[in-house]
Amino acid sequence: MTNKEKYKQAFSVLQTSRDYAMEVDNMTKLTKKTTMKTGIAAAVAVCVVLAGGGTAYAANVGGIQRTIQVWIHGDQTDAELEISQDGSYNLTYKDENGENKEIAGGGVAMEADGTERPLTAEEIQEELASPMPEVEYEEDGTVWVYYYDQKLDITEKFEDEFCYVKLHHGEKTLYVTVKYQDGYGVSEDKYPSPSEWDTDAPEE
Amino acid sequence: MRQSVQELAEKYQNNLFAIAFHICKNKEDAEDVVQDTFIQYHTIKKNFESEQHIRAWLIRVTINKAKNMNHTFWRKNKMSIEDYMETLVFETSESETLFETVMKLPEKYRIVIHLFYYEDYSVREIANVLRISESNVKVRLSRGRSILKEQLKEEWNDDK
Repeated sequence: MTNKEKYKQAFSVLQTSRDYAMEVDNMTKLTKKTTMKTGIAAAVAVCVVLAGGGTAYAANVGGIQRTIQVWIHGDQTDAELEISQDGSYNLTYKDENGENKEIAGGGVAMEADGTERPLTAEEIQEELASPMPEVEYEEDGTVWVYYYDQKLDITEKFEDEFCYVKLHHGEKTLYVTVKYQDGYGVSEDKYPSPSEWDTDAPEE
Repeated sequence: MRQSVQELAEKYQNNLFAIAFHICKNKEDAEDVVQDTFIQYHTIKKNFESEQHIRAWLIRVTINKAKNMNHTFWRKNKMSIEDYMETLVFETSESETLFETVMKLPEKYRIVIHLFYYEDYSVREIANVLRISESNVKVRLSRGRSILKEQLKEEWNDDK
């Protein structure tokens, strides 16, 4: 027997007897009903650490709520921002299909003496208005970079698991190194090495 | 072109299940991954060039979803691979040993080995599906084969 024949014989035991056609039919009906309620499938956690600054967090009993404009997947979108006293926030907006989506996040600022404090509402708003590039892996296998109004399909740009993207916004230039399914780094000076965001990666 | 989920499930569900199993090493997770993959196929408005294009897409999505499944924090209390293997009926003891040995390979070798030996994919096709270079596929294939040869000895032939 060849290795292929041996291999196929060994793994032919892996069989599934589920009725996927029926399950898909049932699930898609169910999904249509519940998407409007949950709408958090694409929830993105954003953690921001700022250096310096000494603004004390205003003690708001009920948190702060306001409408802001943010960049979501390359589109400028009105969103309701609700900020809690602990520096966490919820951002709700309607996607291109009119469905409610929610992004939750938060962050801390590091004071000069090394202590941490929750971000102020202004700092959170400032961070959300100046987005960093985002890399997203779609379930259809495509890979996208989003930055302000830019939507770049980088699916075919990977070589040896890496893709290098140069982004411009106004006078600002950002260099993005994406390691396929293994994180990405952003720098204003040069394409970052994976060792800068992945502690397991070898130093270059 | 498009094919119905029913047609695709009849042809590929066991292949996709085996691929997902290679990554999840768990029957329930692998079955959920296959289900999610078919749901994704059903949901997207994508026109495919050929049946091979559909097959490659299904395999890529299965791999991505299986990797995502492994990264989720929430895991059900599921059957271990050892317990699951006891429910399988292998044709020969060599088959069982090969199965067990492959499942102990590092994931990155395991999936390349499976696509080559089970799906009959070429190095180029594997590179396209996994979004890695052909030379990287060759390295993984070579290292995976070396481990199999080392562990299985005469039960595994020398590949050229």
